[in-house]
Formats: sequence, structure tokens, C-alpha cells
Amino acid sequence: MDTFSGPVGCGPHFLPARQIIMADTPATRRALEPAEQASAKGTGPFDELRHLILAPEQEALDRLHQRVADPEARTEDVSSVVAEAIQLRRQQGDDEALSHALAPTIETALRESVRKDPATLADALFPVMGPAIRKSILETLRSFLDSFNEIMDQSFSWQGLKSRFEALRTGRSFTEVVLLHSLVFRVEQVFLIHKKTGLPLGHAIAPSVATQDPSLVSGMLSAIQDFVRDSFHTAEGQGLGRMNVGDLDVWVEQGPYAIIAAVIRGIAPRALRDTLAETLENIHRQYGLQLERFDGNTAPFAAIDGDLARCREFRYKEEPRRKGRGYVWAAAAIVLLLVGGWAGWRWWQDHRWSQLVETLRDQPGLVITSFGREHGRFVIRGLRDRLAADPIQFVKNAGLSIKRGEFHWGAYYALDDAIIQQRAIAQLLPPPGVTFLVEDGVLRPQGSASSTWASDLVRRALLVPGIRAVNLAGLHRNEQTAFDKAKSDIQSLVVTFPIASAALSPSQMAALRAIALRLKSLFASADDLQQPATLEVIGHCDSTGAETTNVFLSQRRADRVVWQLGQLGLPGTRLHAKGAATNEPVRKEDSEENRQYNRSVTFRVTSPGAN
Amino acid sequence: MLQKKICMLGAFAVGKTSLVRRYVESIYSDAYHTTVGVKISKKVVQANNSEVNLVLWDLYGEDDFQKMNWKHLQGAFGYLLVADGTRPATLDKALALEQKARAEVGPLPFVFVVNKCDLVNDWQFDAALEAQLVAKKWTILRSSAKTGESVEEAFSQLTGKMLG
Ligand SMILES: Nc1nc2c(ncn2[C@@H]2O[C@H](COP(=O)(O)OP(=O)(O)O)[C@@H](O)[C@H]2O)c(=O)[nH]1
Ligand SMILES: [Mg+2]
Repeated sequence: MDTFSGPVGCGPHFLPARQIIMADTPATRRALEPAEQASAKGTGPFDELRHLILAPEQEALDRLHQRVADPEARTEDVSSVVAEAIQLRRQQGDDEALSHALAPTIETALRESVRKDPATLADALFPVMGPAIRKSILETLRSFLDSFNEIMDQSFSWQGLKSRFEALRTGRSFTEVVLLHSLVFRVEQVFLIHKKTGLPLGHAIAPSVATQDPSLVSGMLSAIQDFVRDSFHTAEGQGLGRMNVGDLDVWVEQGPYAIIAAVIRGIAPRALRDTLAETLENIHRQYGLQLERFDGNTAPFAAIDGDLARCREFRYKEEPRRKGRGYVWAAAAIVLLLVGGWAGWRWWQDHRWSQLVETLRDQPGLVITSFGREHGRFVIRGLRDRLAADPIQFVKNAGLSIKRGEFHWGAYYALDDAIIQQRAIAQLLPPPGVTFLVEDGVLRPQGSASSTWASDLVRRALLVPGIRAVNLAGLHRNEQTAFDKAKSDIQSLVVTFPIASAALSPSQMAALRAIALRLKSLFASADDLQQPATLEVIGHCDSTGAETTNVFLSQRRADRVVWQLGQLGLPGTRLHAKGAATNEPVRKEDSEENRQYNRSVTFRVTSPGAN
Repeated sequence: MLQKKICMLGAFAVGKTSLVRRYVESIYSDAYHTTVGVKISKKVVQANNSEVNLVLWDLYGEDDFQKMNWKHLQGAFGYLLVADGTRPATLDKALALEQKARAEVGPLPFVFVVNKCDLVNDWQFDAALEAQLVAKKWTILRSSAKTGESVEEAFSQLTGKMLG
């Protein structure tokens, strides 16, 4: 309405009006329209007047109208003020409406931009992202540093030393051990649930933890166990071990009659599970029968709450009570035992091989030049006479494995007497009845052999390596032996005579003939042996007669035999008769038979070789 | 304290859940029911001058769609056998369930409850059958989860049987 009541005229007067229109509401603009239509149609003088008066304004209005109706122009107009308008709006304080209005558009725009080319937005965000990421990393590092500081704090404390020792013992890193000790977790509840009935047998709960009734939780936990077992067909005795929701963990340990379930907030170390298992085992041990025959009466289990409370108060300890890191000790012990055992065994083997070497050293015909381990085997080098004892046999006797040993022998002639002896036996082939003895390189044959073998022996023996001389003192010729035998045979013969007579009876005559033959051969072999023998024929008589008679009688008897032997062809020069009277009685005269033996003649052979 | 696990046995929609809800003070959300197949609730009652903690397992299933998990009956000290008085088929089902339960876990104390007795006009319980069951020494009660009739009594009778 102000439009029409304002000052009328051209130029400057119009400006305020225009401004008002621009700022006016759409309703005002619509009110103008009938007037414009009228002016376009009108033709009367009033209209003309009106035209005259209002024409400039009308034109200005038309222009304005045109400008408003034209979207292009309007866009142009809005574009010049849109930034200022938004700024103004924000200054007015009503930020939220604008944000709400713009948010979907901006979101869509962003999505579209990313869809078209992610690089654009990434590039644009780069300056923002960098610091954001750095900040995040910094935060992470800071929390790491906190842990690290804790570790540093611990490093120089008693606890730190303990942790170091524990790390050494468990094979964990020191950092890990310290982190384990600084783990943040809380065991909020521990349940002991009777497996078959799903009824709670015990319950421990941390202060100010809100929970359902233990009966309901226990029932539900065992129902879930049933459900899992049923749904996934697990093996008998197996069940859910762990349930996890956010930072809430439920750890379940299964026993034959009861299960233990711990509700944990945070990250608990594995050792807690060991504690749970151990508690469950203890409970089974202590309450086995009651658990099996559980009739709903929880009175016998009253003390279990205490055990569960101890589980609930679990803190990571260096030495978990359960077998814990025991296996590390066991493994270490086994390794130590193995290494120690191996070293000990090796030492023992070396020792035994060395002992063997000493034994071999003592063996004639073996010379050890070196020994020791080479490429895992025990190698012995040296010289060996072909006749020396077999070293392999010694290895076997010592109970050592031949596979672990190795011998390298050079051949040589040993000068040990024992070996020379063997060598002499091998080369000289002594006949039966002859043994060889070697002392200090001197061969001493013992026994008897034919004189041809014996006479050749010295020549042959000196060809045997190691024999420097032969001593034949111990070697009897076979001929000598025969001679000695014949000699002692003849010396045991007795030719008897009647009482007080030197006459030979026919039987004694016959005996003398045989004696003559034996004497001949005896003399012959004595000649062969170059020990010319002579025979002493000794006459005896009994002690009954007078001594002078006896001397005469015994001499006669000896002469009689000598004469007879001469008659039988024996050389008289070798026969000597001697009357011994009763001086050399053949037998003691305690009977008539023995007395007869003293009325006789006996023989004594003398030869230079005889002793 | 004495605790007893009790199961609710009965055909679909006979009112097992409603009976439990009517009876107990604490109950888990219904959401577990379909997932795990059981809903557990607790009721503390006085019996023989001492407190007995009844843990009620409301088993889901035994209809055309879902088989009941009989493992849940393991460890129960007794059960409430529920039928719907307005549907004869649920009576037959109850009898079958009793036999199955006997086969699964052996004879257990139970109380037979014919529910929805408030719908008295629709009563369809066969007198001959009832006589037969009474002869078998069954404890039979007419209950209503809606009005609360005989609900307490059903549970306390069962408790008495389990303790006796
Ligand atoms: N009128 C009546 N309705 C009941 C009674 N008990 C249960 N219902 C209804 O029967 C339906 C099935 O009950 P519900 O407890 O879910 O049966 P469930 O499948 O055995 O657990 C529900 O709609 C209940 O409202 C009762 O005693 N009287
Ligand atoms: Mg139900």
C-alpha cells in the first residue's frame, strides 16, 4: 500500500519505492498484477492521464517484473548475494536449520564426487587427513609409550628382574611378560554349574556387577551348551569353550559332572584358563561323589563359592600353579639331558675307544701311530704284523660298534718274541712233540725230533725274520730217546745164578742171548749219537756166604757173563766185569725170592752223553 | 539350599509359557526361546519348612515345525505335563509326551495340568479317560493361566512329589 501513498515523481523519488518492492513479500507482488492488466487494456482519457503520470513507473515495474519472472536473471541476482545471505544466516545464530537443509545435498554431492573420481576428494582432504592420521598414530604411540614406560619402570625394579627371569624361563619376550602383568581385565563372575541339571552349585561375583539370577544364567548356559552340542554334533564331553560379546568374554571349562564358567571383561591371559581348569579338577576331586549323586541340595557345595572367588580374583602370576610353564622346564631338562647324555655318551665312547687303543698297544705285532675322531668315526692308524691278533676281535670284545671305528694298518715284521714264535711255528712247522720258545730273538725248541730235522733246523730257523740264534739244548733227538730207553731197559735186567754157583742155567742162557742182541743195537745207536758206550757187568751174591768167598763168587759170575757175551759177538773192549760181592744188593734180602735176585749179574751202561 | 529343575512339557500353544509367566517372579526374555529352544525361569517356594529353588525349563517345540530337544529334560527332577482342555488333540499329545519322557529319562514325578479351564464352555475332557488316568495315580488339575486358577497348586503339588 505504501507504493501508492508515497511521493509521486520521477528519478530519485522512485528509488526508495523500488527498494521496498524488492524487499517485499510475494503477496504484495501478486496485488500489483490487476493494476498492470488494467493499464494494458485501458484506452480512455483517464487511462491516458494515468499513462502520462505513471508511465515511467510502469516501465520500471515492467522491467522489474520481467527480471523477476526470468529465471536466468533471478539466478544472476541471487548469485550476487547468496554467499552474503548464508553468512548473514549464520551470524543470526540459527545454524542448525541450514546445516540440516544442506546436509543431504552435501552428502549426495560428496558421494557423487567420490563415485566420479575419488582422487579429487582425496587430494582435497589430503591436508586434513595427514594431521588426522598423525594424530591417531600419535595417540596409539602414546599408549604404547605408556606401556613402554611401565616396562622401563619395571626394568630397573625387583619386579623387573623377576620379569626378566620369567621371560628367560618361559621363552617369552620381556615386553610380553610385562604386558601380561599389566593386562587390564576383570573376572566379573564365576559360575560352577552342575552339568546334568544345569543348576548352579556356586557363584562368585565382583562387587557392583549387575547380573541375572545365577539359576537363570546357569540354566541358560547349560541350555546353550546343549544347543551347541546338538546343533554341531560335537563329540561327547566337548562343549562350548568360549563365548564373546564385545569386550565381554565367557570362558567355559568342561568337567565330567560340572562346568565352570567365568565372565570376563577385558583381555585375560591364558593362565586364567589354567586356573579355571585346575579349580574344576580340584572340585571334581573333592566332590566327585556328591556331584554324581546331586539331588538339588547345594548344601555340600557351600565351600565352593570360596574356590570360585579365588578364581575371580585371579591375577596374572609368574608361576601359574597348574603345570603352567612346567613343560618349558621339562623341555629344557630333556634338552639338557639329551645334550648331556649325548656328550656323556660321546665321552664314554671316546674313553672306551681310547681304552681299546691301549689294549691294542699292548698287543704284540700292533703299533698304533695315531688315533682320534675323524668325520664322526673313531679312526686308528698303525702297523700290523700279519700274525698279530685281529683288532676287530678286540672291538667286538670291548662291546664297541665296528661301524663306528675304522682301521688303517701298514704291514711290517714285528720283533716281539711272541710274534717271532708264531712266525717260526708257521715257517718251520715243528713236528708233533716239539714246541718253540723264543726269548729275546733266540729260538729254543723243546721236545724231541728226528736228528735229521733237528740238524736242518738251525739253518732254516735263521731265515725266519726276528730269529738271531737257535739254542738246541731243550731239543732231544729221537735216537737219543731210543738209546736212553734201551739203556734203562738193559740196566733193569737181572741174570740169576744158582746158590754158590757161577753157572748159567739154560733159561738164563737164552735170556743172555736176547740181551746180547739188545746190547749190539745199543752200542750201535750210541755210536750213531757219537757217544760210544761201554758196559759194566756187575756180579752179585747173597749175604749168606763168607765175605772172601762172596767177592770171588761175584767176580766169577761177572766174568762168566762177560765171557758169554764175548762169545755172542760183543766186542770185549767194551765189556768190563766187576764183582760187587754183597756191596750193591739188587734187592733187600727179606724173602727167599728176593735173596735169589742177589745171586745175579746186572748191567750198567756208561756213555759220555749220559748224566 | 535345595534346587530343583522342572520342565514344562506339552503340545504347542497349550499355555506352558503362560503358566510359567503366571507363576514365576523372574523370567528371561522370550527372545531366547526360539533360538536355544528353552526359556528358563526361577521360583522360590517354601516346602517342608525350607526354601526350594525351582528352576523352570519351558521347552519350546513339539509342533509340526520344531522338534523339542529332549536333552533339556536330562537332569530334571520333575515336570509339568500340560494339555489344552479345549483341544482334545493336545491330550493325546500329552500322553505321548509322558511315554516319551519315561523312555528318555526314566520315570519322573509329574503333574498333569489341563489348562484354559476359564474357557469352561469349550471343555472337552473325556470323563472316561480321566478316570483311567486317575486309576494310574496321575495327579490331574484343571488350571487357567488366565485367571491363575490352580497354577500355584500345580507347582506346589509337583514340588511335594519331588521332595516326597
Ligand atoms: N483363555 C486362556 N488362554 C490361554 C491360557 N493359557 C494360555 N492361553 C493362551 O494360549 C496361547 C498359547 O499360550 P502359550 O503360553 O504361548 O502356549 P505354549 O506354546 O504352550 O507356551 C496364548 O495366546 C495364550 O494367551 C488360559 O488358561 N486361558
Ligand atoms: Mg511357549
